[in-house]
Amino acid sequence: MSEIEPTEQTQTKTDAGSAQPLQTTSGESEEQLHEEWIDYRFDGETKLAVETLDVHYGDDHALKDVSMEIPEKSVTALIGPSGCGKSTYLRCLNRMNDRIKSARVDGSVQLDGEEIYQDGVDLVELRKRVGMVFQSPNPFPKSIRENISYGPRKHGDIDTSLLARLSGRSDEEAEERLVKRSLKQAALWDEVNERLDDNALGLSGGQQQRLCIARALATDPEVLLMDEPASALDPIATSKIEELIHELSREYTVVIVTHNMQQAERISDQTAVFLTGGKLVEYGDTDQIFESPRSQRVEDYINGKFG
Amino acid sequence: MSFITTLIKRGRSRLREVARRQGRRARDFVDETESEALAVVTVVALSLVAALVGFLLVSALTVVPLATFVVATVYGWFRHQEVTARVLTLTTTVSTLLILGLIIVFIFLESIPIVRYESATVFGVTVPGLRLFVETRWDAVSDPVRFSMVPMIHGTVMVTLIATAVAAPLGVSAALFLSEIAPAPVREVVKPGVEILAGIPSIVYGFIGFTILSPWASDQFRLNGQGTYLFVGIVVGLMALPTVVSVAEDALSSVPESIKSGSLAVGTTDWQTMTSITLPAAFSGVSAAVLLGVGRAIGETMAATVMLKGVPRLTDPLYNVFYGQETLTSIIARNYGDADGLQMDALFIAGVILFVTVLFISIGSQYIEWRMRRQFGGDV
Amino acid sequence: MAGATRSTLANQETSGTDLAAAAAIGLSTILFVLSVASLAEQLSITGSISGVPTVTLLGGLLVLLGGTVASFGVSSRLGYVETNADHSAGLIAAVAAGIPWFLIGGGFASETLGLGAVAGLAVGVLIGGTAFAATAFPREDVGSTVPIGALSIVTGLVFLTSVLGPEWVWDLGWEQTASLTAEFVIPVLTLLNAMYAGWAAAKAYGGFGARGRHVGAYVLVYLNALSIVAFLFVLVAFTVVRGIPGLLTGAEFGWGVGPGTTVGVGGFGFTLSLPFSVPFVMNGVALMNDFQGVLPAIVGTIWLVVGAVLFAVPLGIGAAIFLTEYAEQGPFTQVVEIATNGLWSTPSIVFGLFGFAFLIPRFGNSKSLLAGMLTLGFMLLPLVLITSREAMISVPDEYRDASAALGVSKWQTIQSVVLPAALPGVVTGVILGVGRIAGETAPILLTMAGGTFVPGSQTADVIGGFEFIASPPFVTNPELLQATSALPYQLFALITAGVGLGENVANPEEFRWATALILLVVVLSFYAVGIATRYYFRRKLSYE
Ligand SMILES: Nc1ncnc2c1ncn2[C@@H]1O[C@H](COP(=O)(O)OP(=O)(O)OP(=O)(O)O)[C@@H](O)[C@H]1O
Ligand SMILES: [Mg+2]
Repeated sequence: MSEIEPTEQTQTKTDAGSAQPLQTTSGESEEQLHEEWIDYRFDGETKLAVETLDVHYGDDHALKDVSMEIPEKSVTALIGPSGCGKSTYLRCLNRMNDRIKSARVDGSVQLDGEEIYQDGVDLVELRKRVGMVFQSPNPFPKSIRENISYGPRKHGDIDTSLLARLSGRSDEEAEERLVKRSLKQAALWDEVNERLDDNALGLSGGQQQRLCIARALATDPEVLLMDEPASALDPIATSKIEELIHELSREYTVVIVTHNMQQAERISDQTAVFLTGGKLVEYGDTDQIFESPRSQRVEDYINGKFG
Repeated sequence: MSFITTLIKRGRSRLREVARRQGRRARDFVDETESEALAVVTVVALSLVAALVGFLLVSALTVVPLATFVVATVYGWFRHQEVTARVLTLTTTVSTLLILGLIIVFIFLESIPIVRYESATVFGVTVPGLRLFVETRWDAVSDPVRFSMVPMIHGTVMVTLIATAVAAPLGVSAALFLSEIAPAPVREVVKPGVEILAGIPSIVYGFIGFTILSPWASDQFRLNGQGTYLFVGIVVGLMALPTVVSVAEDALSSVPESIKSGSLAVGTTDWQTMTSITLPAAFSGVSAAVLLGVGRAIGETMAATVMLKGVPRLTDPLYNVFYGQETLTSIIARNYGDADGLQMDALFIAGVILFVTVLFISIGSQYIEWRMRRQFGGDV
Repeated sequence: MAGATRSTLANQETSGTDLAAAAAIGLSTILFVLSVASLAEQLSITGSISGVPTVTLLGGLLVLLGGTVASFGVSSRLGYVETNADHSAGLIAAVAAGIPWFLIGGGFASETLGLGAVAGLAVGVLIGGTAFAATAFPREDVGSTVPIGALSIVTGLVFLTSVLGPEWVWDLGWEQTASLTAEFVIPVLTLLNAMYAGWAAAKAYGGFGARGRHVGAYVLVYLNALSIVAFLFVLVAFTVVRGIPGLLTGAEFGWGVGPGTTVGVGGFGFTLSLPFSVPFVMNGVALMNDFQGVLPAIVGTIWLVVGAVLFAVPLGIGAAIFLTEYAEQGPFTQVVEIATNGLWSTPSIVFGLFGFAFLIPRFGNSKSLLAGMLTLGFMLLPLVLITSREAMISVPDEYRDASAALGVSKWQTIQSVVLPAALPGVVTGVILGVGRIAGETAPILLTMAGGTFVPGSQTADVIGGFEFIASPPFVTNPELLQATSALPYQLFALITAGVGLGENVANPEEFRWATALILLVVVLSFYAVGIATRYYFRRKLSYE
């Protein structure tokens, strides 16, 4: 069922740059002025299409009427002040919000044209395809090796159990290769290759962060959601991760939250700016957002005038 | 038990320092407190100690210091509330510890004669109480009078094993259900249900076991008479179940949500997350829960008393679960009435065995939980 | 295989093959219910259901169930059914399948063929090992269905061919004789097979693979939770149904039938009567009574609880305050914590022994209400201490700091900030603890309880019992110092009294059940109040 509705295809092919005010509900007139909805069009196929997404935590309206389409095989940066709903938005894309009891999600998110908020969606399948690196590192209390191979093992792609060894189809080598590749990609291999069997909780914060990146890569998702993946990293590790993200964007769709403007500018193809109150204020090519934002507030935010 | 040794070591190394600090604190306390308040506090403390001594000595005059204590406390409460409150709470703490101490002292003291009586000589060395554990004969009437604990230990072990086989898997599964699986409305029904299960008095379980289960089992298995370890074990297991459920549930829900979501986010089923992440991470807490359940099963009295035969002997063969003779708890409840002298002391030695075993289990489970808290650091 | 469905997120619609798996689950449910019914003697093994002998019916259903499960697995392997089967069913499934086959093989060789224990073990290992291998090594769809399906089929055939008929008995040949009979073995085998096959069918329903195992495990976990709730329900309902007749013996409803009290108002005296009379809870036992009752035991229980609470609650809360607010957190508090937890797990009978050795000699060398109160108080104390401490520790330090910053003294801070915030936890803990001790029998057995039947005239009247005397200790209360009864003890005494009961009460069986019911009602009402209090406080807190 990978067909994409024809209307959508034509929609994505329409020319970029035609700004349309879609949202006309905002309260104060000043805000209305600045928060013009930017209906951004890009080249290439849509991977994720988000439409009129609203998230409530209890009575708290955390995300308001967000619509955006994310192109495949590219890097999309989400920026915005703390508490504006970036993580919330990211969690909507692989339905991790389902875990939060008070959270209520309305609206639509389509992955390759298929609605992920319909009944009967297999969350396991969805999350295999849409991987996630969390804002704070959350390694499993297991060895480094087990952390990396956890996903593939559970998916049945790697099997090194006693039974598998007995029947001679143990994938120990494949596991070794996978662990090495993922750790190298996440720029962690050199630091931990001597102690793959140590508990991951013994790693430093930055190392844990990279371990979680490696863990997400090991399951080979189509979309990778990264919530501030470099927040605890030194400049060298950061640049390696940025390189990695750049590499990944040839094959994968990457959505990354960052508080670092330069980083967003360096690595992303398009940028979405959320501002306080859970609104998507502007979305467009990264160059355009950083050089000539349409909204005054976005410009202020980017230039560090408010946050 | 490293945490005990750590405790002891830390305690020993810091003992002097603590003593010095306490000394200083006591001096400060004396210096800072008004002399009248000090006097009141002293009267409170002294009269309480006197009352205690009087009570221990079974003196009818105990009431005098007790009255002094009450009067001094009431006076202190109105005049020097701050100090009195502090001393009163300290008093209550000391009393609590004292009760534990008294329990130990009294049940141990009462059991000394029987330990003497049941001494046995091995290789020329007299080992007090050895015969309690190497012979199997319990006979309080005909010569030679013997009070072996072996049959009762056997019974307690049988009952506890069966009970654990019931309570552990069902309890852990129910805990998983409550903490990870059940939708909120279902949990709101099941959780109080489990608590109520804990509240049903053991004598009611025993009564139903006695009137329904025992005759039924006797009929089904063509037994001579009534009372089987099998069904006592099952009933006791059901009684220990709520303990296992509630402690294990606490342990499971204290596993940080972040690693559970971390597992789900790589595309695993809820069940895989439970078995591969949550259960291993909560392993120590869950085993503490099972241990506590075992402790409850060992100490369960009334159901065993009314359902068992009450004849202290080993079953034949030893694994014959269809006959239920006597456990450490039931022998006490059954025989206290017509026991005196040595037999009564023998009941106390059964109490000592129970007390020590369960205390060790309790300390063991606390140790496990302590380790778990350390593992997760501040996360729990 | 994994990845085959990669292009779609949503589950496929229910297909005919899913229906087959669902039917198998339904079939296991029916067998489960039938076997539970026959264990509960609601269904006779020797009888028949709508013309078909029960054993034959069970056997037929088992064969059908096994066949469905196994053929589902095979058709998945042959590709007729689309599933996500893994390479292997896994170690747990293999062990689970190996064990029954080991028992069958061993039992068959050693008992049926009479080859003896060693040969039985060998054959058992062989057959069990084969089942293990047949589960572990083929692909998951075959491995998790065929050995288990075959188990059901074999069991069913054993029933159908009357190898194990309704009259089957196996004397275990032990010194203390015991036999396994068909009445027991047939339902139990059916039950186990139903659960095994239901588990396999649930895995098949989930399409094997990770999702299949998820569904399989959830079926078992839900079954367990459901059974616990059902067990509770049956237990309570059973006691109620059996207890009601005894409880209502001689009960009357209507104006003026109840026991009356004379109230005097300004010279006029008139009698107030309750509009109902339930002798079972309003009478004691006396020769003259038309209907006997357990009033002294009810009153005894109430006084016991009151005494224990008066003793334990101030002590426990005080100690908790000292340990959390005054004492320095360190080795001392840790040792106290270990000690209180140890005290809390100490078996109740040990408290009884302690009370017997410590209290009885100090209260005139006889069992007494006061000794019972204190013994139960000792039991309640650690619980009060633990729950109060937990509640106080969970009061955030900011509250204390805020109060201290205002220059409020420590005790006032505790009084006005810590205690109110900790109150919900303490109250709930105390009520639940009271429910627990109210039902305790063992400690009062040794310290308080007197005869089986306590005359109504001996109903404890603690308040009216205080007397002043000239010699120390100057004040006594004979009511406190005499043995009385309590509900749990009363029930125990009724159980052990055996046949002698008939002389005192008309219908001993009803009398016992009614006592059990009253006890259950008293104890569970404490629990109900405790749980309700917790909900009340929780809701109040979440709205604040
Ligand atoms: N689990 C939750 N329960 C209730 N409210 C929540 C929850 N998670 C987030 N919120 C609220 O939703 C809003 C958006 O939070 P979110 O975590 O998405 O912000 P963010 O943009 O990621 O911030 P940051 O940059 O600090 O990570 C905040 O006001 C927050 O208080
Ligand atoms: Mg965030």
